[in-house]
Order: sequence, then structure tokens, then C-alpha cells
Amino acid sequence: MEIPYTTHARPDTGLTNPKLGIWLFLASEVMLFGSLFSSYALLRSGATTWPQQSDVLSVPLAALNTVVLIASSVTMVLAWASLKNKSVERYRLFMGLTILGGAIFLVVKTIEYSEKFSHHLYPATSNFLGLYFTLTGLHALHVIVGMIVNGYLWGPGVKMWRTEPERFTNRIEVAGIYWHFVDVVWIFLFPVLYLL
Amino acid sequence: MTHDTTVKVKGYLAVFGALLVLTMVTVGISYLHLPHKIGVPIGLSIAIAKAALVAMFFMHLKGERPMVMWPLGLTVFLFVGLFVSLLLSEADHLFGSRFVDAFH
Repeated sequence: MEIPYTTHARPDTGLTNPKLGIWLFLASEVMLFGSLFSSYALLRSGATTWPQQSDVLSVPLAALNTVVLIASSVTMVLAWASLKNKSVERYRLFMGLTILGGAIFLVVKTIEYSEKFSHHLYPATSNFLGLYFTLTGLHALHVIVGMIVNGYLWGPGVKMWRTEPERFTNRIEVAGIYWHFVDVVWIFLFPVLYLL
Repeated sequence: MTHDTTVKVKGYLAVFGALLVLTMVTVGISYLHLPHKIGVPIGLSIAIAKAALVAMFFMHLKGERPMVMWPLGLTVFLFVGLFVSLLLSEADHLFGSRFVDAFH
């Protein structure tokens, strides 16, 4: 089945269908993470004691991960800009770096998790750790999904560039909008869970 | 064409720089151990500023069509509604009075 309006805007929405689709999906994602952020605010405001978060978690590792994820957002947008400039080689370089950024993020996250487990700190240990593992776990799942999509677009998916370059460029933009959203979620998770 | 993309790349790198500076500021402020009443609004404001930069420039929200803005605006409204109504009904000690009293 042919998906309509992948390169030209639909007259009534003024958008290509994939772009409208990704934004509606992200709207639902805002509510998913929003419900968890609301739970965090509720549980923390109602708690009689709350740990000094920066004593329980590693701020340097999380700050490193913030920089890694922001950098991978930049390489993602540069991958799209490279296609706009008709350079598929540069696109593959930047998309590769974006995937590498996601992988580094997950490695650092794994180190953080293992350190917590080695100190017998589990989701059931406290409300704070329950929220920490739920929020960062769901976020890491989003990173993994983004890496799978980006991996496809870096590898086998790139053949579309030869037949339908404009449609492929739009695909990268849409995949990028998702990847940047994952970055935005982390931009809030970092101060809320580690710093405040 | 090449020229246009060069300009774009410069803009994206400028946003990258701004995001790194804001990250350093937010980490730096956290070491001051400010009281929550000051530290939380500052930390969240910096996070909102960073998210706005990513959304406007990387996600191309700046100058985007109304058909994107309307659903997003509605989502923000619903999210704030969820957040505030939950706190008002369950964490009413924060506001000094019971929200439910208004219905008696």
C-alpha cells in the first residue's frame, strides 16, 4: 500500500502525513512521561523524608550522559542537513555518530545501574529508587527503540536514497524529531532525579 | 545550496554550544545547595530553556504549521492539568488549605 503525502504537504493539514503522525505520537508520549513525572512530584511532596538525590546517584556520570545525548541530537540534525546538501556519505557518518552516542549513553546507564545493584539498591528499596528506575528505564527503552530505527536508516534503509531521495530525507527528519524528543525527556530527568 | 546548509550547520552548532553552557550552569548551581524554594524553580527554568532550544531548532518547531502547534498546545494544557490537579487534590498540604474543602 502506498502511503500518501510523504513528500508533499497534504492541502488540509499543511503537513506531510509522517510529520503529523510523529507529532501526534509524541503528544501521547508527553502524557506517558507526564503521568510518571506527576507521580514523582506527588510521591516526593507527600514524603516525610526524601534522600539527598545527588548522594544516592552519580551526578558526574549523568552529566556525561547529558552531554553525550545532546551531542547525538546535534549529529542527528547534521545527518538530515547532509541529505539536504545531497551528501549521503556525510549523512552516513553523522547517523553513525548518532547511533554511537546512543550506545555510549546505554553503556554509561548500565554502569550506573550495576553500581546501584552492587550496593543492593533496587527499585523496591525506596520510593525514590522506584521512580528513578521506572523513569530512567522507560527512557532507556526509548533510546533502544531510537537506535533500532536509526540503525535501519543507517544500514538497509539507506537504499531509498537512490530511488526517492526526498522521501528518505523526510524519513530522517521524522526519525530525528523522535530522537530529539528522547533528548528532551533526559533534559528534564537529569535535574529532577539527580540535582534538585 | 551549499551556502544555505553551511549557515544551517553554524546555527545548529551555536545551539549545541548554548545547550552545553546551560548544562554546566545547572550542574554548577546544584553544588551551591540552594534551598529548594530557589533551587527547584531555577533548575526547572534552565531545563525548560534547554528543551525549548531543542524543540525550536532541532525539531524544527520554529515556524512549524498550526496543525502541529494545536495538538501540542492541547497536550501541554492536559499535562499541566494532570500535574496540577493531582497535586491540588492529593498534596494539598503544599498549598496550606484542602482543595476538597471548596466542595463542602
